[in-house]
Amino acid sequence: MTPPPPAPDAAPGPDADADHGLAVLHTLRCGGHADTGRVAEAVGLTAPEAESALIDLAVDGLVTRHPAPFPGWGLTDAGRAAHAERTARRLEESGARDAVAAAFERFLELNPELLDLCTAWQLKPVDGTPAVNDHSDPDYDARVLDRFADLHRRAAPVYSELAAALPRFDRYRVRLTDALDRARAGATEYVADHTASFHTVWAELHEDLLATLGIPR
Amino acid sequence: MRWIRPLSADLDEGADALGAKAHGLVALHRLGLPVPPAFVVTTEACRRFLSEGRPPDGLREELAGAVRGLEAATGRRFGGEHAPLAVSVRSGAGVSMPGMMSTVLDLGLTSRATAALAAETGDARFALESRLRLLTGFAAALPGVPADAAAPGDADGNPGVGDTDRLRAAIAAAEERIERRHGRPFPDDAAEQLETAVEAVFSSWDAPRARTYRELNGIPHDLGTAVVVQAMVFGNRDGRSGTGVAFSRDPGTGENAPSGDVLFARQGEDVVSGREPSLPLHELRSREPSVADALGGALARAEGHFRDACYVEFTFESGGLWLLQARPGRFTGAAGVRVAVDLAEAGVITREEALLRVPPQGIRNVRAPRITAGAQADVVGRGVGACPGVAVGRLATTSEAAVRMAADGPVVLVRPETSPDDVRGLAAAAGIATARGGAASHAAVVARSMGRPAAVGIAGLEVDAAAATVRAGGRTLAEGDVVAVDGAGGELVLGDPATTTDTADAHLRTLLAWADDVSDGPPADDEEPRLRAAQAAVRRSRG
Repeated sequence: MTPPPPAPDAAPGPDADADHGLAVLHTLRCGGHADTGRVAEAVGLTAPEAESALIDLAVDGLVTRHPAPFPGWGLTDAGRAAHAERTARRLEESGARDAVAAAFERFLELNPELLDLCTAWQLKPVDGTPAVNDHSDPDYDARVLDRFADLHRRAAPVYSELAAALPRFDRYRVRLTDALDRARAGATEYVADHTASFHTVWAELHEDLLATLGIPR
Repeated sequence: MRWIRPLSADLDEGADALGAKAHGLVALHRLGLPVPPAFVVTTEACRRFLSEGRPPDGLREELAGAVRGLEAATGRRFGGEHAPLAVSVRSGAGVSMPGMMSTVLDLGLTSRATAALAAETGDARFALESRLRLLTGFAAALPGVPADAAAPGDADGNPGVGDTDRLRAAIAAAEERIERRHGRPFPDDAAEQLETAVEAVFSSWDAPRARTYRELNGIPHDLGTAVVVQAMVFGNRDGRSGTGVAFSRDPGTGENAPSGDVLFARQGEDVVSGREPSLPLHELRSREPSVADALGGALARAEGHFRDACYVEFTFESGGLWLLQARPGRFTGAAGVRVAVDLAEAGVITREEALLRVPPQGIRNVRAPRITAGAQADVVGRGVGACPGVAVGRLATTSEAAVRMAADGPVVLVRPETSPDDVRGLAAAAGIATARGGAASHAAVVARSMGRPAAVGIAGLEVDAAAATVRAGGRTLAEGDVVAVDGAGGELVLGDPATTTDTADAHLRTLLAWADDVSDGPPADDEEPRLRAAQAAVRRSRG
């Protein structure tokens, strides 16, 4: 597990706590609503650490816990604003803007391919027309997964550039590798049908890059 | 010529050498239909380029010679300072391959030629807009630069609304973008522009995304692509010009009535990309009846040639029709069944051919619910069907609203596009509609994984989340209004329309009866095996 980066933050409390706070805000901003376990997994914390950070943020009015039927934590408007402000400040302080922006451009070159692959996973061309992939053709599925692995390999330099610029980005490499390993071991919901699937984590990374660079969708 | 063939009715080479697109244009020539003068650079030239890393000897001279042929045919001069000729460059594949450079328009519009075009037409806006289209088209098609990323230049100089100063600023911005991404300035010499574009198309054959696509679809990597170079016709010339796409029959239902989209005073890819709101094809008849007549005749002739429903891309310039592409319609689902049966009953194809044309695994989709034809008047917008089925619910413009409203009943989530932030809303919604994105967009991927009917890329759909309203098709809908999504036809419809699962029921029963006639054994229970058995029998009898 990657330790949180030691960096100054204006929020009250020790640096580590403040970093947890920003990392948690970040997870909710980029991944959407999530329960405590998913936040912990995404940030790389234990569940009690994540819960403690979430409660601190809730006390500050930055996150809120939603009731059933779709329970989970989400950002408040104030949380969104605080996240944007802190993220922008952290980026300027780190001096990493140019490096992140350059990595983002390379990410954008790969992104359409990822979406092609998700489509290929869900829709299989039959006689030239796409049909729902019922996963009855192991050769085809293996071919698609090979392409995922190839894309993941080619994305490795982007992951490392991002992690070198801002260490928290390394979690994406870990999570994407994990999703791919699971999918290749037969847990195919980790391609595009799980909250920790390759597609979901990749989309979070995309959203994270947009949020970090302050680029509107 | 070794590497280049002028396109004409007499050209007698296969799609292997010419590419499917040029092959289709030769067919249009043979049908006597109006096609702008063109030549094709062969796939062999591409293979040599890829293996040697540079254009094959003689290609440059042949390009110059072939351009002289276009000049003679049009009476214009490429890069000329009077009556300048502009050309389009398109990759040769019949179906565009993701990641490949597919189209660059208006090549040859150097700064001087642009000034000449403005002087000739007395319309500086038109000339500048065409040059901007050249630059943004080239920038967007460069490997690695997503089309969306080209938007800044586009937005500043949105054709049709930009005055000349804004267009000039957008042109300067696009030139800078190209220099930054391409590593060198875009040439201001017409012949060099053409060579650059042809080489860019060749190189894009090996773009990683294209390689991935070929791996997935079992297409060999060593085929290469042809390049079609064609004299431009200007759909953005004036109010009696425009561009469009048309099917000879309705691709949603298979009904024997032309259908499609048209955009007046616009050029090239605007309709195909869905970036601009288009009008239904029947608007062409009310505004340009002679173009509509000519198009109707062309569709009928193309149908006769393909012996199938067909698809054409067309442009009209100052009231004159030109065809840019034609191919078989390749209808699926209910529409595919209906067209196959109708054509067999009309004697255009045999019953055996009709049986072979319908993919057995698609036959299940024939019965996916569709909104009935009677509800078409309430269609608010049309996009790409991303996940079949019909969902009816109250309109929500944000994921938060979708989650909240879902507690009281089904919700249709309508968004400009979606991101992971919307996943909770997507999960809560019964159906999904987006303004942007295609069949591979985030919304489409998630909708299919969740089995939610979805229509994506609905042109002209404006979502105002702050006001909780949606505008499209001249109507304004408020959050809470009841709407329906047809995820096969890609439609967003007002109200709770009637749906049907048997748009093709009669046709399907006819087809299956023919299937049972030709297959040997007693009819199987399920539709798919019945059709498979019949296809096997037909193939056996044909040896």
